[in-house]
Amino acid sequence: MKHRHAVLLGFVLGAAPFWVAAQALPPGYIGSQTCNGCHEDIYNGIAKSPHHLVDTDKKRGWDGRACEACHGPGQKHAESADATLIQNPGKLTAAAADKICLNCHLNTPTHVGLLESSHAHNQISCTACHKVHSSEPLVVRKAEATNKLCASCHLNEWAQFQRPFHHKLPEGDMSCVDCHNPHGSIRPAMLQIFAANEPGCFGCHGDKRGPFTFEHAPVRFQGCQACHEPHGSANPRMLIRADVRFVCLECHANLPSAPVKVMGVVPPSFHDLRSPVFQNCTVCHQKIHGSHVDRNLLK
Amino acid sequence: MKTLLVILGSLPLLAQQPPAPTAPATMPAPVTPPAPAATTSDAPSPVPSTEPMFSGWIDLGYRWQTGVGGSLDTYRSIINLGSGPKFLGTDFTLSDPKHRWFDTIQVRADSWGDEPSSSVHVEAKKSGVYDFNADYRDFAYFNFLPTYADPLFSQGIVLNEQSFDTRRKIAALSLDIRPGHWWVPYFGWDHDSSSGDGATVFVTDGNNYPVPNTLRDSTDLYRAGVRFEKRHFHVTLEEGGTVFKSDQNLYQNPGSTNYGNFSSAIFGQTLDLTSLLAAYGIGGSSAYSKALLTANPASWLNIYGQFLYSQPNTNVHYQQTNTGNLYLQSQILFYSSEQQVINAAAEQPHTAGSLGAEIRPFKGLRIIENWLTDRLHDAGSSAALGTLLVTGSPLAMSSLIASTLVSNYSQESLDVFFDASSKITLHGGYRYVWGDALYAFLPPAGLVSSDQEQLRQNIGLGSVTYRPAQKLSVTGEVEGGSSSGVYFRTSLYDYQKVRAQVHYQPLQSLSVSADFTLLNNQNPLAGTNYDYSSSQGSLSLYWAPRASKIFDIQGNYSRSDLRSNIGYLDPGTLSPEVSRYRDNANTGSALVDIAWPHGKRFAPKLAAGGSFFISTGSRPTSYYQPQAKLWLPLGKHVSWFSEWRYYGYGEAFYLYEGFRTHLVTTGVRFTP
Repeated sequence: MKHRHAVLLGFVLGAAPFWVAAQALPPGYIGSQTCNGCHEDIYNGIAKSPHHLVDTDKKRGWDGRACEACHGPGQKHAESADATLIQNPGKLTAAAADKICLNCHLNTPTHVGLLESSHAHNQISCTACHKVHSSEPLVVRKAEATNKLCASCHLNEWAQFQRPFHHKLPEGDMSCVDCHNPHGSIRPAMLQIFAANEPGCFGCHGDKRGPFTFEHAPVRFQGCQACHEPHGSANPRMLIRADVRFVCLECHANLPSAPVKVMGVVPPSFHDLRSPVFQNCTVCHQKIHGSHVDRNLLK
Repeated sequence: MKTLLVILGSLPLLAQQPPAPTAPATMPAPVTPPAPAATTSDAPSPVPSTEPMFSGWIDLGYRWQTGVGGSLDTYRSIINLGSGPKFLGTDFTLSDPKHRWFDTIQVRADSWGDEPSSSVHVEAKKSGVYDFNADYRDFAYFNFLPTYADPLFSQGIVLNEQSFDTRRKIAALSLDIRPGHWWVPYFGWDHDSSSGDGATVFVTDGNNYPVPNTLRDSTDLYRAGVRFEKRHFHVTLEEGGTVFKSDQNLYQNPGSTNYGNFSSAIFGQTLDLTSLLAAYGIGGSSAYSKALLTANPASWLNIYGQFLYSQPNTNVHYQQTNTGNLYLQSQILFYSSEQQVINAAAEQPHTAGSLGAEIRPFKGLRIIENWLTDRLHDAGSSAALGTLLVTGSPLAMSSLIASTLVSNYSQESLDVFFDASSKITLHGGYRYVWGDALYAFLPPAGLVSSDQEQLRQNIGLGSVTYRPAQKLSVTGEVEGGSSSGVYFRTSLYDYQKVRAQVHYQPLQSLSVSADFTLLNNQNPLAGTNYDYSSSQGSLSLYWAPRASKIFDIQGNYSRSDLRSNIGYLDPGTLSPEVSRYRDNANTGSALVDIAWPHGKRFAPKLAAGGSFFISTGSRPTSYYQPQAKLWLPLGKHVSWFSEWRYYGYGEAFYLYEGFRTHLVTTGVRFTP
C-alpha cells in the first residue's frame, strides 16, 4: 500500500510540469504533447523533420505548440475528439492552406517568383509536394523520386520523356527541378535561372551562352524551345521537326524585298534543296546558336 | 524509496524555465502566431539521441551487354550503356548523435564505372551553423546519328558531319552560414565543362569539307550573398560572376586530300583541301547582381520584387591556316592557301526585373498584379584580316563588322482568384505583352542588314479548380491570345491553350489521374499561313492493394497528335511551298511489383514492366524498353538482385538507324 502511494505521488509530481505548461498556454491551446497522446505517429514524424524547430525554438513563437501552428487551437478538438473542431489544412482551398505555410515561409528567397508560378495560379498547394508530417525529408531530393513526384501530375510531360531523344530524366540522371523552379521564376515555364537572369539551360550548356558577336536572334528572343523539344522528341537533337531544313525554313521564308513583318529572310538561291548538302542547314551553318566570328554562322 | 521517487518525480520541475508572460489574451488565429513571448514547457528534444551513425545502402554489380544488333552509333547516341563491373549506386546517411561537427551527412551516388552518366551528391548540415551541398555529374555526350548530317550518304559514305564524342562535367558547391537565423551569408560555385572530339565542317566559298575537331569549354560561376529574413520582409542581395573559356580546333593533317561535300568541278577545276588548322580562342567573363524582395506589410498584402542584372562579355581570337585548291566566289578566283586572323568581342548588358503584389481585400478573394520586364542589348564587333595566295601572289583582305541585337520585353498581368466555396476556386486574368526587337549589322551588306519588329499580345486567362473531396480534384484552365505583332512566323499569334487535370482516389489503394492539353495557333498573315494544332491526353493508374504487401501496379498511357502546316519559299526557285509536319504518338509504361507473400524475411521481390513509344507521321519511330528485376534477400544486410533490360529502336524511313540489344545486370546490395 505504501508503495502504491509512493508511485501515485511520483506520477503526480512527474506530470506537474505538463500541467504547469498547460496553464502557460494561450486560451484554447493544448500543446503538442497533448496532440501526441492520440497522434503519436505524426508527432514522431514531425520530431524528425525540420519542423521540429517550431516546437523547440522559442523565437518562432510556437514553442511547444508546433501542431497548433498549422492546425489552430486544439482544445475543443482534444476535449471532444471531433475532427470537425480542428482546422485541417487538407480540406482548405489551396490558397488558404498555403497562407498557413507562408505565414512562416513567405519571406524567403524561395518564394520571390511566386506570382509567376503556374503552380500558384492553378491552386497547387505547398502540401502537394511537401510532406509536412512525414519523418522523411519535407521534399524528396533524389532525382528519381523528384521526377516521380512531378510526373504524378504532369503525365503528358512525363510521356514525352519516353521518346528516344530526351534529357536523361527517366534514367534518373537529371530531375525536373534541374530545369524548372517549382516555386516560380521570372523565366517562362518556370525555368531555372543562370547567372541572375539568363535561362537555366546555360547552367549545363555553357558553350551556348555567348554573348556572341553574331547572335542567332531566336535563341535570345524565344529561347532554346524555338527549335528544341526539351522534354523529348522522336527527332534527333530533340528538334521540333524531323528534317533540319524545315526547322530553319519555316522561319527563313520572308522575301527581303517584301515589307518584313517578322524576322527571318529566305536563303540565297544557291541553296538547292534537292542537294543533300542543303537538306541539313547545320552542315554549313554549324554555329547555329551564335557565332563569335562569322556573320552567317558558318564558323 | 519514497524519497527517491519524490526526487525523481520532481526532476522535471527543476528543469523548468520560469513561466514567461502569457500570450495575448485574444486567441491568435493559426495563421497569425502571437508575439514570441508565450513560453511553455521545454519540450523534450524531438531528435532521438540514439540515432544510428550510419544508415543506407551500397549497390555493386556487373553488367553484360549482349551486343548491339543494328546501328551501334545510334545505340551509343541514345543509350550508351556498356559491359563491365559497376558501382551502381549508394545512398547513405551519417549521423552524429553528439552533433559535434555535423548533424547529418547524406551521400548519394549513382552509376560509376565507365557509365554514360555518373553522379554524386553530398549534403552536410549542422543546425543553425551551416548547410553545405555538393553535386557532381559526369555525362558522356555522344552523338553520331548516321542520318543527321550526312550529305555524302548517297555516295556510300556514312559520316555524321556534326557529330561529337565528349564528356560534360557539371559541379556545384553551396554553403549557407547560420541557416535559420535572420541573416544568412551564403557562397556558391558552379562549374560546367566539356571536352572531347568529333567531326565538323570547314566551310569555304566553293566547297565545304568535313574535318575532325577537338572541343573544350568551361564555365565557372562564383557567387556570394546574404539573405535577411525577418518576420514581415525578406531581402536577398547577391553578387556573382562567371569565367568562360572555349577552345575548338579544326584540323586536317598535311599530306591528305579532302574533296569536300561538292564533287562537281568549278571552271573545270576540282576543289580540295590539303591541310587545315583553325583554332578558336574564346574567353569571357561576366558580373551580375541580384536583389530579391518579399514583404507582407499588412495581413492583406504581399509584395514581391526582384532586380536582376548581368553583363557577360566575350573576347575571341581566331586563327586559321589552310591549303588546297580553293575558290573565292565573290571575286571568281582560285587560291592555294589562306591565312586568317579574326579578333572579335561582344558584350551583353541584360536587365530583368519584376514587381508584383497579392492583395486580399476580403476572405476568398485574391487579386494579383504583376509587372515583368526583360531587356538585353548585345553589341558585337569583329575585325578580320586575311591573306590569300593567288597564283603565288598574296592578296590581302580585311573586314570590320559590328552587330547589334536588342530585345525589350515586358508584360503586365492582372489575375483575380475567387473562392466561390471551400471546394471551388475561380480564376480570371488578363495579360498584356509588349516588346520590340532589333537585329542589325554595320556596314550594311548582304540580304538584310536590319530587322526590327514589335511584339503586341493580348491574352485572356481563366481556370476553375473543383475539389469536392480530398480524394477528387478537377482543374481546367484556358488561355487565349491575340497578337498584332510577333517576332517570328512560328511564334504564338492567335492561339488557344487548354489544360485539364483530374485526380481521383476512390480507394486508399487506388488512384487514377488524367491530363489533357491542347494548343491551337494560327497566323493567317499572307505568306505565312501557319496552322498548328497539338493535343495530348494521358491516363495514369496506381493500384496497391493491402499496402503493396503482395503486389502493386502502376501504368500510364498517353496519346499525342501534332499537326503543323506553314508556308515557306523554296530558296532555289522562290516558289511557295508548304511545310507539313505530323507526329501522332502512343506512349505507354507499366510496372508490376510482386512480393512473395510467404517468404517473410527472405521474401523475393519481382518487378516487371517497361515502356513503349510508337509514332506515325513525319518520322515514324518505335522504341521499346521492357525490363524485369528480381530481388532476393540473402541475409539481414545483403540482398542479391538481377535485372534484364531490352532496348529496341526502329525508324521506318531510316531502317539502318535501328538497333536492339539486351542488357543483364546482376549485383549485391549491402545494407549495413
